[in-house]
Amino acid sequence: MLTTRSAYLFLLPSLALYLLFVGLPILQVFGFSFFAWDNGIAGEFIGLANYSRLLSDAVFWTALWHNGIWVVLTLAFPLLAGLVIAAILADRNANVVRWLGAVYFIPRTIPLVVAGIIWGWIYNPIFGLLNFGLEAVGLGGLGGAWLAQESTALLSLNVVGAWTFFGFCVIIYLAAIQSIDPALYEAASIDGASWWRKFRDLTVPLLRGSTLFLGLYAAIEAMRFFDLVWVTTQGGPGYATEVLTTHIYKTFFLVGDFGYAATLSVVLLIIVLAISAGAFTLLRKP
Amino acid sequence: MTKSPRLFQNLILLAFALYALVPVYLVFLAAIRSEADLFSGPLTLSWPINLGNFARIWNEAGFATYFMNSVITAVSVTILVLLTAPLAGFAFAKLRFPGKEILFALFLAGLVVPAPSVIVALYGNLQALGLIDNRIGVILPQAALLMPFSVFMMRTVIQDVPDELIEAAVMDGAGLLKLFLTIVVPVVKPGLMSLGLITFLFAWQEYLLPLVVFQTESLKPLTVGAASLQGRYGVDYGGIAAAGLIAFAPLVVLFLAMQRSFVRGLTAGAVK
Repeated sequence: MLTTRSAYLFLLPSLALYLLFVGLPILQVFGFSFFAWDNGIAGEFIGLANYSRLLSDAVFWTALWHNGIWVVLTLAFPLLAGLVIAAILADRNANVVRWLGAVYFIPRTIPLVVAGIIWGWIYNPIFGLLNFGLEAVGLGGLGGAWLAQESTALLSLNVVGAWTFFGFCVIIYLAAIQSIDPALYEAASIDGASWWRKFRDLTVPLLRGSTLFLGLYAAIEAMRFFDLVWVTTQGGPGYATEVLTTHIYKTFFLVGDFGYAATLSVVLLIIVLAISAGAFTLLRKP
Repeated sequence: MTKSPRLFQNLILLAFALYALVPVYLVFLAAIRSEADLFSGPLTLSWPINLGNFARIWNEAGFATYFMNSVITAVSVTILVLLTAPLAGFAFAKLRFPGKEILFALFLAGLVVPAPSVIVALYGNLQALGLIDNRIGVILPQAALLMPFSVFMMRTVIQDVPDELIEAAVMDGAGLLKLFLTIVVPVVKPGLMSLGLITFLFAWQEYLLPLVVFQTESLKPLTVGAASLQGRYGVDYGGIAAAGLIAFAPLVVLFLAMQRSFVRGLTAGAVK
């Protein structure tokens, strides 16, 4: 490998852009969080006062709880669906794999804003397809104002999130399965192993790396998603779908409390960095 | 394999195919139906296709402009990333220099930074630079936020370039930049293609940055336009459906046409 200082010149453009528009704001956000703010102007240094406010901010804890639920649901449903679908597709012919892979991935290409609008209609209590469908099969009693009532809003949104994400899981898992030595499966078949045995004893353990990658990806996305909530419920009804990012957005743009918005941002940053540090430690282990 | 598990497996595949496609189909249906039969009749395609919704949204609701803005922003971000990230990826993959590990860790950390958590400071900075309500104010931060992923991916891709090729070029006395352009770039062209596609997809989908940076209507992209339409045209469902379709159809077509390249890019970061 070449040792050369001109490597810095190769790094310079991307590093400069990255530090100026991502690195610097992160440092500033840290700084902002130690000050009281008035109309966008930094006032006095108040130490950790903004941080102690977190303890009594019920909206913050509600939002954090919702992000936590979102992490768990995303790890449970789209990842599992992706794994099962990929395992099924693995022994189908190449054309089926290509076409179905594309079909499952299509929702991921749709901007979350548009996904929110589409699903907003499906969930609409008056003309939405979901209530209509439930009625058609005689379950009309289960219908409701899915996004407008506190009991169902978050879960209903999560179905949309999963819709945009499971196809990505299929593609990642498929690529990993296709790199597994087919001889392993042939040997298992000769031993008379069932599909389920092969899935449990070969596929799942061999895909550990992909599962960790997707788990990390899903957890990070679950902490930082914004568009979907903002365009559908804006955190409502009440605080039923409030998440950290919407809390930050409202605190900054609607309330204008720069110091506290910065504090919430710091908390969000610390959480995602902690999650990734944990996942990388797991990834390093054989 | 016995028959019944296969049938069960097919049902799973079908159920998820419907989950993925039904919402897309509904938008398509709503977009090509006239106001009168929007909520009536079976959920099958009706002829003749009514393009009135598209015409109205495109001409009257400003979607011709939104569309152009999405193209301009996404293309600019893509070009910017393609001009910068491969250079850094090359340095991390093939060169040795003091501070390499730390600098790479710095980029890695950026992979998980949530855009909403930097916006509090970024907004003020853009204001100070006079970049609020300016395309540059979206393009530069957008490229910067995509940089960690792009550099990481390019490093993975360029690591696969055989060292012998690079050593041979060094023996011939080629300068580093010339080596990069004549030896590395031709070999990793498919990787560059993938990076370009993924960057374009993400840039086109972006909502938060243009939402806070643009105030002038004529600068806003499709995502912001479609979201605001919901409020302004509350009951014009055919129009909103047409708008949604305009906002995502190019991405779906691009993905279907370049599926192989997309998948290569998506998995380059995941499979080590």
